[in-house]
Amino acid sequence: MITIEIIGRTIWTVVFLGATLIAWWIGAPMWVVLVGGALTAGNLIGTYFGVRAIQSYGYAERERDLLVRHGRLIRRLSIVPYARMQFVDVTAGPLERMFGLATVRLHTAAAASDATVPGLEAPEATRLRDRLTALGEDRGEGL
Amino acid sequence: MTDPLIPRQRLHPLTPVLKGFRLLVLAIVALSWRGIEQLEWANWLALVAVLLVALLAYSYIAWTVTGYEVVGRELRIHEGLVSRRVRTVPLERLQAIEVLQPFQARIFGLAELKLDVAGAERSEAPLSFLPLQQAHALRGQLLALSGGRPEHAEAPPAETPLFRVENNDVAWSQFLTPPVMFTPLAVLYVIGQLIFNQNFGFFAIASMFSALFATLIAPGLRIANFWDFRLSHSEDGNLRIQHGLLSKRSQTVPVHRIQSLTVTWPLLWRSKGWLRITLAVAGQSSVGEGNRRAETDRLLPVATLDEARAVMPHVMPGVDLAALPMTPVPRSARWLAPLRARVLVAGLTDQVFGTVDGFATRTLTIVPYGRIQSVRLSQGPWQRRLGLATVHADIAGGTPVSAAHRPVEEARNWAGELSLRAHRARANA
Repeated sequence: MITIEIIGRTIWTVVFLGATLIAWWIGAPMWVVLVGGALTAGNLIGTYFGVRAIQSYGYAERERDLLVRHGRLIRRLSIVPYARMQFVDVTAGPLERMFGLATVRLHTAAAASDATVPGLEAPEATRLRDRLTALGEDRGEGL
Repeated sequence: MTDPLIPRQRLHPLTPVLKGFRLLVLAIVALSWRGIEQLEWANWLALVAVLLVALLAYSYIAWTVTGYEVVGRELRIHEGLVSRRVRTVPLERLQAIEVLQPFQARIFGLAELKLDVAGAERSEAPLSFLPLQQAHALRGQLLALSGGRPEHAEAPPAETPLFRVENNDVAWSQFLTPPVMFTPLAVLYVIGQLIFNQNFGFFAIASMFSALFATLIAPGLRIANFWDFRLSHSEDGNLRIQHGLLSKRSQTVPVHRIQSLTVTWPLLWRSKGWLRITLAVAGQSSVGEGNRRAETDRLLPVATLDEARAVMPHVMPGVDLAALPMTPVPRSARWLAPLRARVLVAGLTDQVFGTVDGFATRTLTIVPYGRIQSVRLSQGPWQRRLGLATVHADIAGGTPVSAAHRPVEEARNWAGELSLRAHRARANA
């Protein structure tokens, strides 16, 4: 997952850097070049924080609920009971697929519930999904 | 396939006329501006007549293919002329039913039935129009079915009136709102402008009047909406909320479907000791279509604390609004919320989780443990410095209930306790 973040960020960095250099080369106004440079630098810093944010993800399957923790600057912890689960999403973007990873997301009837576990290995994602749906089934209708 | 409990029925025969009328008004408005100029007067009338006939014919055909039936525990609504559609509403998922009488339908004694279904963005499937009697009967049947009783409900269960809001209070409370309170100031300002500038333009006066009209129309509509507000309670545990001056609304909410209650004390109402209570039901959103907010989520549009406390046992038994065991936030929270720190309190009672927030407009939100969907903790960088954290309890169909700036230890305990109590409440239900 860290690799994906780095690759994604690198692509953007290269795009911004390229655009900046081209702008400089064709003699665009100074502020365009400065904005491009700032975007590039911002992206590099963003990479650092992005990696840290991903490292901060953690989840635990407890007997009755799923705990998901993430965030460095703003720390968040979600406790989602299996009984409240409405459905489970498993998504995998192109980069994620290249590395055989997937993101599992739990939805409850409340829109604010936020339980996303990114960067799971595909078999682990499937196992988690199956376990969640199995646990959700024998635990009521969710309202 | 099981036999229908209620065989397929059509809506009231006046439906196409009423619905067509609405469309016709729109069409005429669209035509009028250019139409009268370009066409002769007689031609214009003929065009309107043709439109009228066409709309009526269309509405009539649409009416013939529209109908509803109840099969098993489902309500099926057939509709659509070009593309047929059968909507199936599972009655176990029914959250609340509203019988609505728009003004034009009320003249003919007709009503519209609105169903709130969990998971829907907004009220699903209005059945319009039915004779009022039939609408009430159907509502009773649907509620009985959704409660798990397969028989036809006989006479509707006895209702005991709980509370009645004085129309005077409704009117006063709506005038004690910021837009209305500032209107005299605005009028004075404009008049002053006119006197000193000697600039009596037509536009100035027109804009003043339209602005005045705009500020007064919202409270006016609300007064009409909450006119004759009655709250009653039926034996089988349903709340009935009835109100309206021109359009009558009568909403039925099963008590166990209430997700959360919000008690609000607006700043300008404090001198009167008034509050208002809104309730959240899954599948019902107070944000109506566009900006015409129907505001159908009111439990009490205006009441005193004592009146509200008298109503509570029928809404959330065992919850006393005046005696919730709340604990304040630590002094360190003042760095983050200098004004609100004294207001912010929260606490866990036997049945509910409650929080108070808001400096000027104070709001108390309570959610029963059994309705909590998930629990979250969040901690920003400043909160971490000060050893604080925020606890959120998410509910279906409403904004999360948040207790801001609690000490970290307490927040952790609460989060654990909330999820435990939520589980117990579910297990008992």
